[in-house]
Amino acid sequence: MTSTTLSLRGVSRRFKDTVALDALDLDVSQGELVALLGPSGCGKTTALRIIAGLDNPDAGEVLVGGKSVTHLAPNKRNMGMVFQSYSLFPNLTAAENVAFGLTMRGEAKTVRIGRAQELLEMVGLPKHAKRFPHQLSGGQQQRVALARALAFEPDVLLLDEPLSALDAQVRANLRDEIRALQLKTGTTTIFVTHDQEEAMAMSDRVAVMNAGKIAQIARPDELYHNPASEFVAGFVGQMNKIPATLEADRVRVLDSHVDYRQSWTEQPGAMVALVRPEAIEIQNTAADQSNATVVARAFLGPMSKVSLVLRDGTEVSAVLTSAQSAEFASGSLVRVSVKPDQYLVVAA
Amino acid sequence: MKIFTRRQLPLTIGLFLATLFVLFPLVSATEFSLRQPATSNYGFANYIWFFTAEDFGKYLGISLGLAVVSAIILLVILVPTVIWLNLGGARFRGLVEFVSLLPLVIPVVALAIGAQTALPDFAQTDEIILGFMFAVLAMPYAYRTLDTGLRAIPLQTIVEAARGLGANWLHTIFRVVIPVVRSTVASALFMTLALSLGEYTLTSLLHWDTFTTWVTTMSQSNILGAIALSMFSLIAVFGLLLIISIFIRPTKSNVVAEEN
Repeated sequence: MTSTTLSLRGVSRRFKDTVALDALDLDVSQGELVALLGPSGCGKTTALRIIAGLDNPDAGEVLVGGKSVTHLAPNKRNMGMVFQSYSLFPNLTAAENVAFGLTMRGEAKTVRIGRAQELLEMVGLPKHAKRFPHQLSGGQQQRVALARALAFEPDVLLLDEPLSALDAQVRANLRDEIRALQLKTGTTTIFVTHDQEEAMAMSDRVAVMNAGKIAQIARPDELYHNPASEFVAGFVGQMNKIPATLEADRVRVLDSHVDYRQSWTEQPGAMVALVRPEAIEIQNTAADQSNATVVARAFLGPMSKVSLVLRDGTEVSAVLTSAQSAEFASGSLVRVSVKPDQYLVVAA
Repeated sequence: MKIFTRRQLPLTIGLFLATLFVLFPLVSATEFSLRQPATSNYGFANYIWFFTAEDFGKYLGISLGLAVVSAIILLVILVPTVIWLNLGGARFRGLVEFVSLLPLVIPVVALAIGAQTALPDFAQTDEIILGFMFAVLAMPYAYRTLDTGLRAIPLQTIVEAARGLGANWLHTIFRVVIPVVRSTVASALFMTLALSLGEYTLTSLLHWDTFTTWVTTMSQSNILGAIALSMFSLIAVFGLLLIISIFIRPTKSNVVAEEN
């Protein structure tokens, strides 16, 4: 069993009339990478800043290794942080930036130099030690910032949207590098992002936040396939909303029937089925058997997205292999169905 | 070969006229200060006259000392204040800006009378009081220079990064923030030093003697010597600022950070 390294207990934070965090609880195990994912204003950055000590909670506690650090200044917490914007000290070289945390801890110069070089090698910049930040690209600057945050072996690594200022290619590469480095060092990490793909690709667990609370925290696959609420389902991955009806103890979605589960919704009546695009099946059929029209087809490489309109006007997207999608031209009448048990039903 | 384009012509003419405007009086004053009416030749007799005067070194020392005191006071008070304003004290910015403008609005006479009536006697027994007064006079310029410089860098991120890496507030200010904006701090320093070295009115009203009041007194007995003295003051201040600027020259990385 792994020991809990970082915990938030009932952490609340209010800015005037806005509740940024509402009695937030979170446990992160040793060496685990947990992403805080959510829309703007959901409180994820506030949570990170409170963990780092850059903001104070109105209530609640932050525990590291079981000890409260709630009232410790940020420089006493031994946490490394990488910021969204470039935060390297412009008057210091890359090596001096990496060694800064060690300098503040009174380490000997030889130790600092050795460790800075080691970390720069780890992030793939061994020959950039003497360069100033303005001589480095955005991706290189964030690599140095990562090395700087890891140099003094922090108890917790905090990443505040470190990839958001980078272009797509660099972003994808650095994403994999950060994860590899985190696994190698075994540092407990909190990663704040609004990019669900990033969160799903990098994290051991993803905490989806909404209105200052964690709506669901789970492994990425679990989150995707078993979302706990309509908000999580809508925020993680693409989701179709298809009208459904309750018939006795069963719910009818298009041509499928599923057993009604009380946990889905407490208000039987008009309902909505939330269906992933890959859970939609399409068949060419005779006009009188059809229930939808193909509107458009978008080629996405090995997969293609097919846009459809149901008879009642509901817009639906399906993701098929590109070979399968070739059968469905724009304007063709088709029969749409849903794979069994691959949807969530909520009140309309 | 074309030296400048048509668009640059007005700028070049303006620059040339401005240079003439500044240089012509200086060249004239230099020429005047080198005259030796007794021999109808040029020489350094007027410069030798004040250099060998009894109190030259004394009053120059007093003025330099006061300039250093005022610069230190201003930096110690103003740098942390402006950093704080830019980090979390934004709601007090209007108040601080208003206060920083007061030395420009309030006549120096009123400042002098205020100092004489409001300050306790022990604070008026030493000329070091002038250091504090010079710091007040330099505040409008130094405050704006520092504020502009600190607004031009991602101050909050840099401070938070330093704090997260283990730096306390003193380390954050002196080892991170000031080095990043050292050209800005140097500019504020220049202004304070230049103002302190050339201040006359307040010094005279408070009945203290510094280099500027000594120059005024001396000029009454030797007009050519007074001009030589003025030229010396000008060159000395310029030289002093040049030396400081060499020591606090911003690195290229500083420049880039401040431009961003």
